[in-house]
Amino acid sequence: MNMKLVAKILGKVSLFGFIGFVATFTLYMFNLENKLIYYVIRPLLNKHYDAQVRDKRIV
Amino acid sequence: MKDLKHLIFFENLLQDAQNELVTQAIEEGNVALGYNCFYIPEVLLNLKGCFSTRLRAPRCTSTDVATYYMTGRTCPYVRSILERAIEGGYNYLGALFGAESCAAMERMEEHFYLLNPVKNDKFFVTIIDPPMKGDQTNLDYYKQQLTCKVVEPMAKAYGVDTSDAAMRAAIEKHNELCEVITEIGNFRKLANPPITGYEFHVIQLVSQVCPHDLILPYLKETLEELKTREPEPEFPFRARVVVAGSEIDDPEFTKLIEMCGAMVVADRYCFGSFPSREQIEIQDGETAFDAICRHYLHWNQCARFMDGMKIEQRHTEIKKLVDEFHADGVIYENMKFCEFWSYEKVLASHVLSEEMGVPCCTIEKEYALGSVGQLRTRFQAFVESLEIKKINA
Amino acid sequence: MKNPIVELIDSKLQKFDPIWQAENGVGGQRSRYYDKTGVAKYREWRGVHDTMVDYGAWLKNVLSMVQMVGSAPVACLKGFWEYRWMGSYLGTFMFIDRLFEGFRGDELKVAHLNMHAIVQSLTKKIALVLANDKRLGGGPLSDKIVPMDEVLPPLFMAGFPDLIPIPLQTLPEFIICDVDQHIEPYYIDVAESFGLPADVCSRCAAETGVAMDDAFPIFGKAMISTNMPCNASEATSMFQRRRIALPDFPATMAMIHNEPGAHPYSAQVLKDCIAFIEKEYGVEYNWDALFARAKHMNEQNQIELEKWDYMKTPYCSLCGIAETLYRLYAWASVNGQEDYFTKTDRKVIKIMRKSYEKKYEPFGGKTRHRAFLWGPSAVYYTDFPTWIQNCWGINIVLNMDSTMGHNMISTDDPEQAIQDLALFSEKGVMRHHAVGGWDNVNAIWEWAKNFNCDMVLFNDNIACKGMLGVHAVMEEQARELGFYFIFIEHDLEDCRTVSRQDMRNCVNQYMSVVLNEKPLDPTIVEFDDSQAY
Repeated sequence: MNMKLVAKILGKVSLFGFIGFVATFTLYMFNLENKLIYYVIRPLLNKHYDAQVRDKRIV
Repeated sequence: MKDLKHLIFFENLLQDAQNELVTQAIEEGNVALGYNCFYIPEVLLNLKGCFSTRLRAPRCTSTDVATYYMTGRTCPYVRSILERAIEGGYNYLGALFGAESCAAMERMEEHFYLLNPVKNDKFFVTIIDPPMKGDQTNLDYYKQQLTCKVVEPMAKAYGVDTSDAAMRAAIEKHNELCEVITEIGNFRKLANPPITGYEFHVIQLVSQVCPHDLILPYLKETLEELKTREPEPEFPFRARVVVAGSEIDDPEFTKLIEMCGAMVVADRYCFGSFPSREQIEIQDGETAFDAICRHYLHWNQCARFMDGMKIEQRHTEIKKLVDEFHADGVIYENMKFCEFWSYEKVLASHVLSEEMGVPCCTIEKEYALGSVGQLRTRFQAFVESLEIKKINA
Repeated sequence: MKNPIVELIDSKLQKFDPIWQAENGVGGQRSRYYDKTGVAKYREWRGVHDTMVDYGAWLKNVLSMVQMVGSAPVACLKGFWEYRWMGSYLGTFMFIDRLFEGFRGDELKVAHLNMHAIVQSLTKKIALVLANDKRLGGGPLSDKIVPMDEVLPPLFMAGFPDLIPIPLQTLPEFIICDVDQHIEPYYIDVAESFGLPADVCSRCAAETGVAMDDAFPIFGKAMISTNMPCNASEATSMFQRRRIALPDFPATMAMIHNEPGAHPYSAQVLKDCIAFIEKEYGVEYNWDALFARAKHMNEQNQIELEKWDYMKTPYCSLCGIAETLYRLYAWASVNGQEDYFTKTDRKVIKIMRKSYEKKYEPFGGKTRHRAFLWGPSAVYYTDFPTWIQNCWGINIVLNMDSTMGHNMISTDDPEQAIQDLALFSEKGVMRHHAVGGWDNVNAIWEWAKNFNCDMVLFNDNIACKGMLGVHAVMEEQARELGFYFIFIEHDLEDCRTVSRQDMRNCVNQYMSVVLNEKPLDPTIVEFDDSQAY
């Protein structure tokens, strides 16, 4: 019974591990995070930065 | 105004680094000691048997060879000095006492021993590491540097007497010269001065490039002349300005400002009289050397100093000059490619105009007076703005 | 023995390996990029084994990022929202990819060990700074942090174990320029809009711009500025001290630092600085705490000296940017204060010993020239050593900044320790050989000879007056001594004046016209990365 439980847990961990590996490796290999950052996140952030009013002066 | 008797003579002296008085002093057996910068105490180079000569490169409009060595993106003053050296213009020098006041200056001074342009077997170069703060640690370092790179080499190479007594005697003579120059300069405080900024600039320059013993009689005569000189019936300028900033050793620059209607009433720049013509005081219990080091460290206004006290001193000293000489504004100048004064100019003009209420005009210049049209426009516009401010006040 | 499955996958996917593509004339490193953007369509295929190494390193770095955000989620988000320079840190992964293009085998392993040390340290620093930034609400350590000029080595501050020295400019100005070439031009423009001329050193102009833009994080009770490395650095501190508005102590180390008279002065300056911190922070200096960290720094320096022995040979697995960036960060920012770097050094030196024993040549043995990189490098083109190896087979074996202070520091005598620290600190970033006299600059030839280099690459910062002042004499020396010598023009942190392609062209022209060599990878001779980070 314990062995069955251990095997079940191991099986689930392996499955999640495999899915995690596939997901992260896909992300990594196809450079998805950088594409998201470059084409989506940074342009949005830059819009915000450009609109900022800062205390720009010589103190 | 009637021309000053010796003005043409002074102007001629400024046409060459090795002018007739320098030649005369050398022929009399004195050693010419060159320097570029206020960090090297002028008084130390005027001990008996030698004389100080602050290096200029008059009429140097082309620096082709120096530019090859140092590129066209370095200070034009140092390139002009190097160019003049390579041309043979400083063969009369016995030594160059340099200072690492800035990277460009140091590199130029290094070329003096890399290229050996001064054809004098006994010529040598030293470069001190100048202080960057006004505190005791830096004062001690300054003394150490001056001792091992100025005083000891002079004594070793040329047998110069560097004793305390000798230094005291040099201080006395130095103070005498300073007193004369200061008195001449004080005429500029008057509402209608009997001297122009240009004339003073010429006088101040000859006092730095010529042997003091030989130039002093002429300066004294000039002082006497000024005491009785009739100024113009009316003050001939539209505004009064203090000129501050980096290296200016060309009186034509001052002439240009004055032709645009602003009299230069005080000169707070390298080669100017503020600082350089303050008298050295030896305090009780102090050696002459200690007094010299303390004096030069205190009065130094170089933008290289980075502690708060010295930074503020730079600004308050200019304000003091504005008040004492009744100036309407300040022209803040920096030599092109000068890193220190580029930064200082931005800060100082902000402090002066925003915090101290002193109108400020900032400009950049080359060593040889160029872009005259642009400068003229800037100065004229500044003068107009000062006039309008006076009218509105 | 290689796994047959791995072998099969390698053979099938070999056509995606850019090195194979370049060798077979069907592409190269640049083939997988979108034009101009620096965004890759897919990551570099390096074979199963090396791709897994790279992937594993990527995961570790992602974890560090997650830990950073996790440790201070609100502060990090606020930081991203408040500071333009924080946004640029999102380009970190692209940055790392650029740095290690073409790396394989041992050099890839070593590169990632070094890189992760930087990433884990930097992410912790960012979290710490943002969590205690008074502008963002402050934190429990706000008054324990000592803002210091980034160029002043912080090792001596280890004697204040309760205080945290943070290099003030590193986050908003220095490291971030490595990551994103477009961030500092914004700050430079701010400084120039207030009248600062465009010909001053762009690093210091950028710092000034950060001050004027009010973009420094706010913490601490007193700050330490410095004159290091040079004139512009001294000058910019005038603006920074006013903006930061804390009591400040300029730690003015000797400029002509290679003379005996300089060290007592610098030692006294350090003593004065310590007294200042004691007064301002109400703490007492603890020599035992300093000695503990000095032991680490000594060990790191000893390992560094051993690394140099391997670098003198063709069998060195630590090369190019992996060495440069690590040494710069480890020395300048960490400076013996983090155990992780000592552990990393121990791991790396083990690998380097093994690589040497098995006569492993990095980059597939394709190195044609061994170069010493002299002068301050362009911060906006950190991956220049990678490019020059991939394109022309020029391995930059060492660079000037890696020769920073490597003297041992006494770990039992306070007076000796302070003298040692003075000597150590004087030989700082962009300083050891760039300032302090001609002999320092001219030492390059000895270094190049000792490292068996046939080539010297002279970083020609167009605004660095100190280095500009020795232009011709350096070139003349190179000719006399028979070194291949290339001036690499750059403008330190402003990629607009001299672009990365302009820098590459300096090399391209020399290699094709003077040496008549063909590039290893034609796709990276000329390409447009103007819009890349």
